Amino acid sequence: MDSAAGWIEHETEGDASVLYLRGAWRLANLGAISRALKSLPPAEHKRFVLDGSRLKELDTSAGFILYRHLVGIGCTESTVSARGFDPRHRKLLRLVHERMTCPPSAARSMHLGLVQRVGAAALKLGRLLRTHSAFVGVVVLEALGLLRRPGRFRAKETVAQFEAVGLDAIPIVALVTFLIGVVFAYLLGVQAQRYGANIFVVDGVGLAMCRELSPLLAAVIVAGRSGAAFTAQLGTMKVQEEIDAISTLGLSPVQVLVIPRLAAIVVALPVLVFVGDVAGVAGGMLVGAWQLDIGAAAFLDRLHAVLPMSAFVIGVAKAPVFGAFIAMIACRMGLLVARDARSVGESTTSTVVQSIVWVIVLDAIFAVALQSLDL
Amino acid sequence: MERVLEADSVVTRFGTEVIHDRVSFTVGRGEVVALIGASGTGKSVLLKEAIGLIQPSGGTIRLLGTDVWRSSADELNALRRRFGMLFQDGALFSSLTVAENIAVPFRENTDLPMDLIAPLVGFKLALVGLAPDAGSKTPAELSGGMRKRVALARALALEPEILFLDEPTSGLDPVGARAFDALVRVLSESLGLTVFIVTHDLDTLLSIIDRAIVLSRGKVIADGPVSAVMQADDPWIRDYFSARAPLVPEAS
Repeated sequence: MDSAAGWIEHETEGDASVLYLRGAWRLANLGAISRALKSLPPAEHKRFVLDGSRLKELDTSAGFILYRHLVGIGCTESTVSARGFDPRHRKLLRLVHERMTCPPSAARSMHLGLVQRVGAAALKLGRLLRTHSAFVGVVVLEALGLLRRPGRFRAKETVAQFEAVGLDAIPIVALVTFLIGVVFAYLLGVQAQRYGANIFVVDGVGLAMCRELSPLLAAVIVAGRSGAAFTAQLGTMKVQEEIDAISTLGLSPVQVLVIPRLAAIVVALPVLVFVGDVAGVAGGMLVGAWQLDIGAAAFLDRLHAVLPMSAFVIGVAKAPVFGAFIAMIACRMGLLVARDARSVGESTTSTVVQSIVWVIVLDAIFAVALQSLDL
Repeated sequence: MERVLEADSVVTRFGTEVIHDRVSFTVGRGEVVALIGASGTGKSVLLKEAIGLIQPSGGTIRLLGTDVWRSSADELNALRRRFGMLFQDGALFSSLTVAENIAVPFRENTDLPMDLIAPLVGFKLALVGLAPDAGSKTPAELSGGMRKRVALARALALEPEILFLDEPTSGLDPVGARAFDALVRVLSESLGLTVFIVTHDLDTLLSIIDRAIVLSRGKVIADGPVSAVMQADDPWIRDYFSARAPLVPEAS
């Protein structure tokens, strides 16, 4: 029933056009009704009469479409009259008419072009990095304040965070570094075996795990595990106005929330790096014994002889720096969360991405700087 | 009068705690009914059971002639297009703009073209008394009262036969709350809507409600016109209505 006649009939009575509405004017039929209205012949008369005597059903959407059409062809209140409507339909039409007085405009979200999007993203990133440094300043000032009044340091919270960040992460860090140790030793061993240089696998595994891989892997795991958790925790607290409540109670959110997390991560990450060193070397040992005919004792002897202390120290010393960056970014992003659910997710994603990128950038800076210093 | 909502000896247990102990009531077409009761008596739970979100432990709930908990997923989805629900805090989708929020039911449940949906969304906004420029805002930018109005517009999008409101005036200032009540009443009268409201708000009760159902200690302890319920001999009902005693004679 797509023809105009199914929904609306057009007749002329004296100097007026009479529109008989027919059938069920409901949302489900709105497409057809809208087409029927459009296919009406152009009006010859100035006056319109709406006749509702053949109308079965009417809802607001259909009423709105009717009004929109009438307004569109230039009708005003004085040129349209209605007759024969069921009292319920009449009430509904009156409501539609009242609410129609402010003509609704179609609101749609803005679509930006490629250049504008790149520009907007670059400005946003620049603003974020600039405000990051301001946040670092705030945290440092608050930390100095704590030095003056050490009683305010939240030891309990710090220990609880240390447990969550450090101790709870030991199994996953050990597993990942162990497996990387196995893979690394295996691939190195395949090459070394060709030249009968099996024993040099120990040098490679020891140096690579302690100096680069273990710190990097531990930092990436902590960024994904604890960084994301910090942002989600602080973000949810922000949404629930808990952070405002902390300020209102005369406490500093930075001292209560940020500094314990920062301290926990700065202490925990070197511990995790040490665990990673041990697990990675153990993975190498397993491959050595199993594939390369290097017994555990021979492996450890060789490791003792060739692994410089500096490689281990550099690996462990990088960790607090990585940790500080992760904690700062995670807490900052948590405090930046806006009032809605989507924002928590966006900030959490951003934390993980920023943390991992920063860890790798820092690692590269360390590599170049330490090389220049001949370490 | 045609019954659009029937609850028959509904039992709800969470663990060993009995929330509803054989609760029965009916709602007729075109009525504006309020479900009241102290906090923790399971009013919102009962509402969610009626619309198919929480399964009751026993009893039947029939909505528009369909047994909510013994119907197939398809039947339930067909039923869901025939009622609208306003959640307590609006439950607007925070990743969408206001206009997109209201457009969701049109886009998912009708095959209307976009150039028809956009003006309809504008009209729904006007219907609940919002300016058209509200459409481009995100829910986070709205005040509590505006969020409820947007949520009402979304609930009304598919021209429902029944409207469920969960605490529609909580968190609104008295002026905003009365305006919202008036809006609901106008809509229910003009559109012939059946409205089922869970509320604490005495002013709502005294101004727009045809009938009140009182839930207490897991049972319906009173059911009838507000003026009759007020006379009921129950300590909680007496306390509830006497909380605003001076206003009662004026409003009734």
